[in-house]
Amino acid sequence: MKRSSQIGLAAAGVLLVATVWSMTSEDPQENLVYNSLSDCRAAGQLTAQQCETAFSEATAARLKDAPKFQSQTACEAQYGANGCSSASIGGAQYFIPALAGFMLARGLSGGQAQPLMPPTAATCPPGSTQPECQQARSSSSSSSGGYYGGSSSSRSRAYSTTSGRSITAAFSPGARGGSTAATSTASRGGFGSIARSFSSHSSS
Amino acid sequence: MRRVTLPPRPDWVEQVERLGFAFHTIDGETYWDESAAIAFTLEEIERDIEAPTEAIEQLCFAFIEKALDHEEILTKLAIPAEHWDYIRSSWQRGERNLYGRLDLAYDGRGPAKLLEYNADTPTALFESSVVQWDWLEQAMARGAIPRGSDQFNSLHERLIAAFQGLREPSPYRLHLTCVQGSPEDKGTVDYLADCAVQAGLDARFTYIEELGLLTDGRFCDGANQPIETLFKLYPWEWMFRESYGKALAGSGCQFIEPPWKAILSNKGLLACLWEMEPGHPNLLPAFFEGDPRCATLSPRHVRKPLYSREGANITLLERGRVLDSDDGPYGAEGHVLQDAATNLFSADGNYAVLGSWLVASQACGLCVREDASPITKNTSRFLPHYIEP
Repeated sequence: MKRSSQIGLAAAGVLLVATVWSMTSEDPQENLVYNSLSDCRAAGQLTAQQCETAFSEATAARLKDAPKFQSQTACEAQYGANGCSSASIGGAQYFIPALAGFMLARGLSGGQAQPLMPPTAATCPPGSTQPECQQARSSSSSSSGGYYGGSSSSRSRAYSTTSGRSITAAFSPGARGGSTAATSTASRGGFGSIARSFSSHSSS
Repeated sequence: MRRVTLPPRPDWVEQVERLGFAFHTIDGETYWDESAAIAFTLEEIERDIEAPTEAIEQLCFAFIEKALDHEEILTKLAIPAEHWDYIRSSWQRGERNLYGRLDLAYDGRGPAKLLEYNADTPTALFESSVVQWDWLEQAMARGAIPRGSDQFNSLHERLIAAFQGLREPSPYRLHLTCVQGSPEDKGTVDYLADCAVQAGLDARFTYIEELGLLTDGRFCDGANQPIETLFKLYPWEWMFRESYGKALAGSGCQFIEPPWKAILSNKGLLACLWEMEPGHPNLLPAFFEGDPRCATLSPRHVRKPLYSREGANITLLERGRVLDSDDGPYGAEGHVLQDAATNLFSADGNYAVLGSWLVASQACGLCVREDASPITKNTSRFLPHYIEP
């Protein structure tokens, strides 16, 4: 890609995130995606020890970097029904998006595993058919039977990252580990939406 | 490379203003013009724009080395002798540069040709970096251009990274300045301040008219805060000649762009580069006015003042007859003559000039300016571009 992946403007209070509409051969690096620690172990691509390390890195990063909300309603408005869980951070109680999976973005962030969270309506590519996206778009969706937990049988699944990117991972039939290299990695933070309020302003 | 006519977004004013882009219309005339876009292939961008831009930058560095050793070159460039040591030491200290823009003639056929190098005070940065980027995203989303299109434009992330590396240790305090009363200049500086804040810097704006001098020789802002690092959207050749010019060397201030950029932001550079590398595929023949070799130029050539911005005082001549010119206040320091480019992109009755951006000397972005005349001026319309998938 010859352009910036995202543009934040403090003065205008906007964060623009590039949409990558289709994956080309320019990113041959495979990112491993697992929905759970047991999926990671079962996939057999990493050792059990590597899976545990990745899982605990992602868990810690989620607590540190995920958006924090005062109420479950506010959190679910963005991450969909059942998309949030409560967490105690620094002695205070918050609701944060749940850990939907984790990704080893090798070569991108020094090998540290990244937490994957449910997709938000804003980060789902237009027209995407993943149930998570449809759920994120429709605030009235209710009895979906829970969005985490059971492993999805669909061949691709959408997530969002703590930096507001959207990730779509493809799972080959029967496999327990996914890869983002073979299919579309969509990044979308919402056009025109005030995705992040910058706390520091210049004096100008 | 082709010009593609597109319907503007119905709410384009609202869309660009939400980004903080205030000067989309200048004196009632359209400046931001999305009724058309220029489409490139990736090969055109990488082979014909990106690679030559970096090659020309390297050639410019070699020229600086040469110029600093040859006082007759500095004299020809009309750089005041009392500032030569100051410029030399900024180069020898390795003071880093932030950005620049090469203006290129290119029509998709054959090599791009350097028209000039805006090395010191380029504008059109915000609209290049942000407004056309956002246009691209929306144009893909509404299906006006193919999904999977791209743009030669990583300016935003490069600027943030460059600010972090301009001074050690980082973060540092950065002042930014420009003249009062110019919305375009203020818009450019505001955007750079925004990038600096995102780089973690303590960024403060002050108008150049407000700058003061402390008793210890340092410059200060309007609130008497000493200035350690100053981004100035204000040309070196003016600073050298103004009353604070004498205070530059003793100010201890790190300037962005650094003083050595004064050697490049001078149209004498065009004659000097041709002298160094005659026949270079990306250069047009050029000589200082009065040089007998001017007789070897094409009958159709351009006369440019050494110091000139935004097309001012540039004259296009054909066998001595003026075909096009733009009035302005420049020209006292001398002129260069340069062959007229024969590969200006022209379509639908318009001429386009490409602005190839460098950040920290890396080619990383493109803007296209279009005009009904072959001289690009400060009011020439800005057209977005995209790379076809």
